[in-house]
Amino acid sequence: MNEILEVLYKTFIVDDRWRFLTDGLKNTLTITLFAVIIGMVLGLITAIIRTTHDKTGHLKILNFICRVYLTVIRGTPVVVQLLIIYFVVFGSVNINKLFVAVLAFGLNSGAYVAEIIRSGIMSIDNGQFEAGESQGFSYTQVMIYIILPQAFKNVLPALANEAIVLLKETSVAGYIAINDLTKGGDYIRSVTYQAFLPLVTVALIYLVMVMALSWLVSKLERRLALNDRR
Amino acid sequence: MNLKKTAAALCIMSVCALSACGSSVPANTVNSVDDLNGKTIGVQLGTTGDIYAGDVEGAAVERYNKGADAIQALKQGKVDAVIIDNEPAKVFVENNDDLKILPDAFAVEEYAIAIKKGNDELTEQINGALAELKADGTLDSIKTNWIGEEAGQHPYTSPEGTDRSNGTLVMATNPEFPPYESMSGDTVIGFDADMMQAVCDRLGMELVIDSMSFDSIIAAVDSGKADVGVAGMTVTEERLENVNFSDPYTTATQVVIVRKD
Repeated sequence: MNEILEVLYKTFIVDDRWRFLTDGLKNTLTITLFAVIIGMVLGLITAIIRTTHDKTGHLKILNFICRVYLTVIRGTPVVVQLLIIYFVVFGSVNINKLFVAVLAFGLNSGAYVAEIIRSGIMSIDNGQFEAGESQGFSYTQVMIYIILPQAFKNVLPALANEAIVLLKETSVAGYIAINDLTKGGDYIRSVTYQAFLPLVTVALIYLVMVMALSWLVSKLERRLALNDRR
Repeated sequence: MNLKKTAAALCIMSVCALSACGSSVPANTVNSVDDLNGKTIGVQLGTTGDIYAGDVEGAAVERYNKGADAIQALKQGKVDAVIIDNEPAKVFVENNDDLKILPDAFAVEEYAIAIKKGNDELTEQINGALAELKADGTLDSIKTNWIGEEAGQHPYTSPEGTDRSNGTLVMATNPEFPPYESMSGDTVIGFDADMMQAVCDRLGMELVIDSMSFDSIIAAVDSGKADVGVAGMTVTEERLENVNFSDPYTTATQVVIVRKD
């Protein structure tokens, strides 16, 4: 028993080492939150441009840009994107690293969110467009009032999944020397040379966060399912 | 069509990259160890430089996964100085005209071989081999082959007809730490690799080198995936509580690298 307490003491209490985990958690949550926001906005815009092009044939140039964005982002690993943004794009600028991480993960997530939302929009029967337009709605109005609410409900589980993936992907932020949750655990490991406790603790914190996120989403799903009962 | 897109994407990215160039890197503000107070210091996670940087008053420590990444950040003005072991520092400065090493260094430290806690038998075997290598000058010869003026003039070769019947010894290392270990083609070379080869020759064992990231080495040794961790690892009191260390095989110092004025 005493031994366990001693390991706990050395891993977390000495020199306030727990602070590396709490500060790391704060950074992980900050990066995830803002990256999810950027990803959702970017993804929604990209998805609407892509489907509008598919349905109406307009927006040719924007559609081309979106396709390039999707190809590049989905075709390269997120760590490489992060390093390119930090060391190449912002090569000789001393820039806030949290900003770089938010930008990199947001850009990355946006590409996946775009395809998720696009699949949601495409899943809505074309008859709904026609019905809406026959009632005098413009294309934009049909999109906002008829298609997107239904599409959103359909893709909610996939979107939640993307947010969970993003939360865990931020664990590579340590590559640009951000003290995120994973890096905090790595630091403790590097001073104590004891691998078990820091790794398991970090894993548990991620697990709890993901479980909390899943619980919130399932509540939202149930709330949205209320008006399905007829 | 896809090729065209990729090409276009690359063009866009390089334009972005170029647009960020041109702005100037800030001038060096660190001229002695005392100047480090309150500065941003880049280190490699888990090196003694990391520990020293943590003790500098008011300094922000940025822990990179690789020493080379910290050097890159220094070149780009993202950190004010990098604290790193003196021999890798020399290699980095040799390869980068815009960097220099400050003349004042931190305390001398000792490198040793990390072995799983409680594996006293292997620790003693290795200590025995190291003692023999020190006594007959082999260790010094390996050291001069990698460090100093006569580098490359005393390559180590295993004695002919070496018996390797005692099994294999797996060495975990991170080959991004020249001259102690680095990659040449697909083999790991360097002081540590030669030293371990000599140890294995003494013990009648086959050396297998397993490359991994620096902060995985201890976990690999701890879990038995590797028998020893050899990567310019410094002995500290706290680390001794969780791993065995062999007797030290060489000494090193930590130095500060800064941009040239």
